[in-house]
Order: sequence, then C-alpha cells, then structure tokens
Amino acid sequence: MLSIRPRILSVGTANPPEKFTQEEVLSRYKAENPSVRAMFSAPFIRTRHLYLPPADEEGVPTETQGDLLRKHRAGAMQMGREAVARCLEPMGLTAADIDYLCVINSTGFMLPGLTAMFIKHFGFRTDCHRVDVVGMGCNAGLNGLNPTASWATANPGRNALMVCCEVNSALYVYEDNVSVGVVNSLFGDGTAAVLLRADERDEPKMAPRVLGFHSHIIPETWDAMHYSWEEEHGKFSFNLARDVPYVLGSHAHLPVKGLLDRFGLKKRHVKHWLVHSGGKKVIDAIKYTVGITEYDVRHTVGILRDYGNLGSGSFLFSYARLMDEGTVRRGDYGVMMTMGPGSSIETALLRW
Amino acid sequence: MRAPETLRYEEAGDVATVTLLRSHINMKVVRELTAVCDHLEDESEASFVVFRGEGPDFSKGIDFSEFRHDQPMDIHGFNKWEKICLRIENLPKVTIAAMRGAVVGGGFQLALVCDARIATGDAKLQLPEVHLGFLPGMATFRLAKYVGLGRAKRIIMQSLSLDAHKAEALGLIDEVVYNLDEGVTKTVDAFRPVYPVTVQLARRLLNESYGTAFEYAIGNFLAAQHRATSQSEFLATVKKAHSEASKGQ
Repeated sequence: MLSIRPRILSVGTANPPEKFTQEEVLSRYKAENPSVRAMFSAPFIRTRHLYLPPADEEGVPTETQGDLLRKHRAGAMQMGREAVARCLEPMGLTAADIDYLCVINSTGFMLPGLTAMFIKHFGFRTDCHRVDVVGMGCNAGLNGLNPTASWATANPGRNALMVCCEVNSALYVYEDNVSVGVVNSLFGDGTAAVLLRADERDEPKMAPRVLGFHSHIIPETWDAMHYSWEEEHGKFSFNLARDVPYVLGSHAHLPVKGLLDRFGLKKRHVKHWLVHSGGKKVIDAIKYTVGITEYDVRHTVGILRDYGNLGSGSFLFSYARLMDEGTVRRGDYGVMMTMGPGSSIETALLRW
Repeated sequence: MRAPETLRYEEAGDVATVTLLRSHINMKVVRELTAVCDHLEDESEASFVVFRGEGPDFSKGIDFSEFRHDQPMDIHGFNKWEKICLRIENLPKVTIAAMRGAVVGGGFQLALVCDARIATGDAKLQLPEVHLGFLPGMATFRLAKYVGLGRAKRIIMQSLSLDAHKAEALGLIDEVVYNLDEGVTKTVDAFRPVYPVTVQLARRLLNESYGTAFEYAIGNFLAAQHRATSQSEFLATVKKAHSEASKGQ
C-alpha cells in the first residue's frame, strides 16, 4: 500500500504579553556602549515579545541562572497553552484528541521535559506518545517535524502535534558589550504549534502535504554557535561567531538542491519559501546563494522585524503569515528552511 | 527540448544563439522562449546566449492579431510576457541582444533585459505603445536606469524612434557594429572569462542598485561577496597573487 504523506492542518502561535521596541529595551537597562546601541537601532528588528526582568537601581537586570530557569518554565507553560489552543480550536479538536506530542526546546533544561508538563496541565491523554527534542537550536523545528511527519505517515488518521517552544530571554546574560549585545538584540520569545495528520479525508483542505526532508551539516563550524557555561556570570550564555551567518548562507543551496533533485524539481518550481528568521545577515546570504528574491523572503523578513529571531518555531510564524496572505494555490510547492547550531541547515518540501 | 517553430536554437562552442524567426511576438513565442530557458538553465553548458532576428529586423513587438476587441483584456498574457523577460534577465549565462532593423516594443524590452546590446547602423529602436494606447511593459521600470528619467519619459511618452547612433549615444546600445557576427564575437570575448556564479551576483546587485536603500544594499553586497569569494575562481586568483609575490622577492 502506498503510504500517505501527512498534511499540515493547522498552525497556532503565541508570544509573551509584553512587547518591546528595541529602544525600550535599551532605555530600560541604560545600555551605553555605542556599538551595542547601534546594533539595537538597526531597522531589521523593530519589536520583540519578551519576558524581561525589571532593572535594578543602576538600570541593570538581575537574574540568576535559577531565575532564568523558573522564567523559562513559566513562559513555556503560558505560551504553550495558548499556541496549542490556537492550533487545535480551528480544527474542532482539543488536547485530548492528540495521539503524538513532540515538543522542541533549547532555552531551558527541564527533566521531566515540557511534554510531561504539557500533558499534566493541558489535558493531553496519558497514553499520548511523546518526544522532547532539546538542545538542537534554531534549526530544530524541522529536525522535529521529520519524525513527527514519519509518525503521522505510519499512523494514518491519527493526530500528531509538534510544539516549538522557546523562551529566548531565558538565555540572556547582561553585559554591555558587543557579543552579548548581538544575542540580546536579536532573539525574541515565541511558541508555535503545528498539527499533522495523514488522512485521505483531509484531501480538499488548503493544507500542504509534507513530502520530504533534506539535511546539511557543516561539521567544521560545530562551535560557531554554542551555549556554554560562563563562570564569571554564573550562567549559561549563547555565543554566535561573527561570520557564521554568511558561512551558513553560502551552504544553503546544497540541501535545497538535494531536496529538489529527489523530487525531480527545479528551484523555479518552488513558489513559496519559508525560511527561518535567523537574522539579517543569514537571510541576505540565503537570498544570494540559493538565488531567491526579497519577495520570496518577505515573511521571513517580516517576522524578524516584528518578533526578532524566535528560534525553532520561527519558520512556522512565517508559514502562518503565508497562509493568512491567501496567495497559495493548490499544486504549489514550498520549501521550509531552518538554520542553526551544528552548523546545520534543514529543509522540507511541501505541496499544497 | 521540443523543436521550436517560432525560434531557432543553436549552440556553437560555449555560445547559444536564439533566433526569432517571426517578425512579431505572440503567446507561442513566449511558450517557446520558456522552453528555451528551461533548456538553458537545466542542460546547456553554454556561457553565452545571443538573441537575434532572422530577417531584416530584430523584432517588431507584440502581434495584436491574437487579441480580441469584443472581450475585456486579459492581463494574464501581459504577465506571462513579463515573466519570460524576467527569466531571461536572470539566466545563468551572459546574454547579448544582437540587433538590426526594427527593434520595436517587445523587441526593445527583450534587449533591455540582456546584459549587452549591439546593433548595426540600420537599427531603429522604438517603444510605440503609449501612442497605441497601452504601456511598454516593464520597460517603464527598466528604461530609466539606462538613460535617466527625463530621456525615458521622452522615449516612452513621445514614442521616439531612435536610430542606432542616437541609441548608442544614450547608452541604450553598447556599440554600433558594421558586421553583426563579428560584433557578437567581439562582445563575447570582452566578457571572458565567465564565472557563472560571480556574473550572476554582479548582475543581480547592479539590477537592484536603483531600488535598494544603501543600508540594505551593503548587507546584500557582503552576502554576495562572501558567496563569490568562496568560489574556486577567487581562490585561484589569491594563490596566483601569492606565487607572484614570492617570485618578486
């Protein structure tokens, strides 16, 4: 029997209630380093939703690693609940209808993981299969979508839910210097839930099938993006090498070619590009390496501008905007692309 | 590629030549140009594509006999024409329009999307559309980049007919040549060596140059430069510089 590839039936997103302009973040913490101020005033990111702590009397935020972990757990629960509801309600489903739950997270270690918390608090069944994909970074949404889609294919008619849940503000270390400034000016908090099901009865919906995946890792840049313990701060800190956006971008045509070749397609057959909003440089590099236009990355750029880099769920925020736009037609192909530590580029092919 | 009827496609060495066999452009020409672009992108090893006309003219533009006067106009057909123009503009080859005689309307637009334009002295370039009650496609977007806004307004709004030398003086034609074949050979040689990735990046940045704010353009340039300098051609340039420097010591 020919197996049926699953369709993306619904996406729901959520962010923290508080939204900040870049200027508001700077003035809240009295950042004075001109290079950091310049970074925050670049036009590519305007607003972000964040769980930000109050400033002390010197204008500096004080959060211990313990505070950050508690903030992470509370934020993940708040956003997770909303994103799951927004994903399932339009389909007339509740958490009790979900048979497989995959949660993606890289912003705060928990044991038991978020799936256990979500099942306890959101009404998932106790026999729901669960998978936590942790510590894979911004690309992880597609690393998680791959097994979720495989599970859905192997279990036709059953509901698979993936939730990308990132409280990036729980990675912040405060220091008025450039390398910390990059991270603190870039990342925002956000969660996206996506429902997959392989069911012939879903045929007439404007819901794309997930046809396949292709990965690419650049092992020689394994430490270009990393999360490590900073003794002097008593916290973990995320580090981003200066040129890694360009290095990632300059490899991006390889997985795209691998993916399209497998399906006998050319780049010109792809109507929609859903690229992770990693940052201005990596988006530019992908445009010029893959050979796609500013129009092709309009949602990628728009999500970056309005939310910052949301980590693993970012490409699903772009997906939601594409679907809201109403430009997709039956038969269109789309490519999802996420980039992150490893350094890694993940791709998926969709067909509406 | 199925043998086209409205075009002739040939390859000699690394030069592909597309000859327009009909004096006018219709939807069949657009479809066959699309098939040629598929072939050029997917299979052809050529570094150059030369567009020419078969008879005494390059192209006299759109064939109106396909249009209906008793029905609302279908804008979709115009969009198809713009799509094929954009595809030719972005081909992974160096493109050359080799023109003589009438270069009118769609023919003029085709020349504007090429990387180089040469013509014999008898060429006459014109965008007559506005005087016919419609618009000369995205020449309304591209022309001013070549000649400046004031001249573009005159050419389009007065439907000026430009002879080859006038067009050369305006920068619309790179060179007026006595013999078109020799002119093509000379132009092709002037572009050598062709590094396809670098050529496409340079062309894209140039085409984007009038429409992008500097703060965005600099990011685009750095991304493109990173891509260009990751190519083996640039590494060879660097190695050569090193070996010459060590010889000089």
